Amino acid sequence: MSTTFLPCGTYHQNYSQDHAWWQTRFIKAKMALLFLILFGLIPWQADSYWLSVCNQIGYTVLGALGVQLLIGFCGQVTLGHAAFIAVGAYTSTLLILEFPWPAVLLEWGLAYPVSILIAAVIAGFWSVLFGLPSAKVKGFYLILTTMAAQFITVDFIISQYISQIGGRGQAFSLPPGTIKIGPWVVDSDLKVYLLMLVLVIISIIGVVNLLRSRVGRAWVAIRDNDISAEVMGINVVKYKLYAFFVAGFIGGLAGAFWISNLAAISPEHFQWFWSLWLVGVILIGGVGSIHGAIFGSVFMVVVMELLQLAIMPLADSFPKLLMDFLFIKEAVFGLAICAFMIFEPNGLAYRWWQMKNYFNLWPFSY
Amino acid sequence: MSEPHERRIGDILLELKDVSMRFGKVRALEGVNLTIRKGEIHSVIGPNGAGKTVMMNVVSGLYRPQRGEIYYKGQKINHLRPYERAGIGIARTFQKVEVFGGMTVLDNIRLGRHIHLKSGIVGGAFYLGRTAREEIEHRTFIEEEIIDFLEIEQLRHKPVGMLPYGLQKRVELGRALALEPELLILDEPLAGLNLEETEDMARFIIDINEERRWRVTCLLVEHDMGVVMDLSDRVFVLNFGNMIMDGTPAEVQNSPEVIKAYLGEEELYATRG
Repeated sequence: MSTTFLPCGTYHQNYSQDHAWWQTRFIKAKMALLFLILFGLIPWQADSYWLSVCNQIGYTVLGALGVQLLIGFCGQVTLGHAAFIAVGAYTSTLLILEFPWPAVLLEWGLAYPVSILIAAVIAGFWSVLFGLPSAKVKGFYLILTTMAAQFITVDFIISQYISQIGGRGQAFSLPPGTIKIGPWVVDSDLKVYLLMLVLVIISIIGVVNLLRSRVGRAWVAIRDNDISAEVMGINVVKYKLYAFFVAGFIGGLAGAFWISNLAAISPEHFQWFWSLWLVGVILIGGVGSIHGAIFGSVFMVVVMELLQLAIMPLADSFPKLLMDFLFIKEAVFGLAICAFMIFEPNGLAYRWWQMKNYFNLWPFSY
Repeated sequence: MSEPHERRIGDILLELKDVSMRFGKVRALEGVNLTIRKGEIHSVIGPNGAGKTVMMNVVSGLYRPQRGEIYYKGQKINHLRPYERAGIGIARTFQKVEVFGGMTVLDNIRLGRHIHLKSGIVGGAFYLGRTAREEIEHRTFIEEEIIDFLEIEQLRHKPVGMLPYGLQKRVELGRALALEPELLILDEPLAGLNLEETEDMARFIIDINEERRWRVTCLLVEHDMGVVMDLSDRVFVLNFGNMIMDGTPAEVQNSPEVIKAYLGEEELYATRG
């Protein structure tokens, strides 16, 4: 969490300026431009394909944000985050499909938004349940207990029991028109995109705010040195569970959001590999940085899409490439992580930080 | 710094009664009794492996003794967890610096304010009203009382892991002070410091103990006999888990037992340098 240097000649007069997010006019303009692109340019210029790529990125960001919080900020290595995303997705779906909503709520289109919130809270508590071992174990042992979360939740409870509700077999399908917020039916890539943006922005604001207040500092302290954190008056177990709750909460949001993009959800969407993928995303983006979760998600999703685009024309002459695309994707994923671990272990976020500092200090970098 | 020296030694602040701590068959502490009064600098000395750090860990709650009682302000605190002991005013530094290397100096010290801050998970997520206000209030405290006192203004936004050892120790002291403790355990605050840093640190300890702003009782573990004898009101000597004696510096220096166990026959206890 090293801070970026301020541009030459910028001085703060009071502490609230130093605590602010966007401290100079230049940064404010930059962020305004970013929002303009996100809300003004992409939705109206991008075609449906690229919008769906953006949605994929947003989904990955939401997932990676929780993983980043646990691994990057609280030091609790997790390899079962897909379980909490699954809990969110299934809770939301089941609430929409099975819950006897009062007619008023249905009419006002509140079923989906309310279910998102409930799904996030339930996923949060589910995550706390599997975070309990963190009171006693750390490191490699914790990785195993979080993997247990994955297998117990998705492969056992969801596959064997939840999926059987209503006798539908493996997948739940959501009839068109059930995903609506107020009068606004989320039925196109554009609408999913806007929903995604709102959720991603809210989550990022929440996490960044937490990180600059008491709770977030306690998390980072636990990551850096849990013994002295405890001596400094932090209830380590409680704050670890807080971290699991918030991570699960955002995971639940991710899951509940993603059903708007899927016609049908099945346990296959939340396999263990997805948990691993999210960890890979933050390794590439940079551990211990919010930028890292975002950059990593953009990088991974875009690289995979480009890979697919590159393979398409070759598929005519080598049809096997297309068949084996899944394996190619996994190989590239592994390769990308290896390359980043060797050449830039601090991830993309670190490069970004260096770049900002370079320009902020230019021309007097000493 | 130039405040009048009116040191008042007050009531009993901390009391260890017959404390024993064992690891398997190793007897790290055997029936140790220690009484610390408010306002004192009370040193603990002894050869390596005597159990000094174990004793500090017992006081700060990282270890639970098998036998004996610990009283703080007359309350038995054996059952309190380390973070609860921080909450009632016991802070400490470590022999090997245990700072939060990835956080900035400012965040390290802010973390010391943890027990004085109130915002929770929801308040923190929105960062409105009380949370934002209290961050500013405590920032003011940190800047004016701690960063200024320890003279680390230019370092506040540097990650602590990148600082030299002596400054890390200073940050660690600042972090402990941010708790506004009543009892500060200093576990070898001078170890590994050069002469100038030693002098600064000794000055800080005296200021913390004497200045009206702080008036912190110190429990000091140190090997530098010159500093120990100059600073301390009382010295406690430990050898292989057993208490040899507890007395004023002059008494300790003249005790044949202590000389045999630790100080040595010759005049070796001069300050380094």
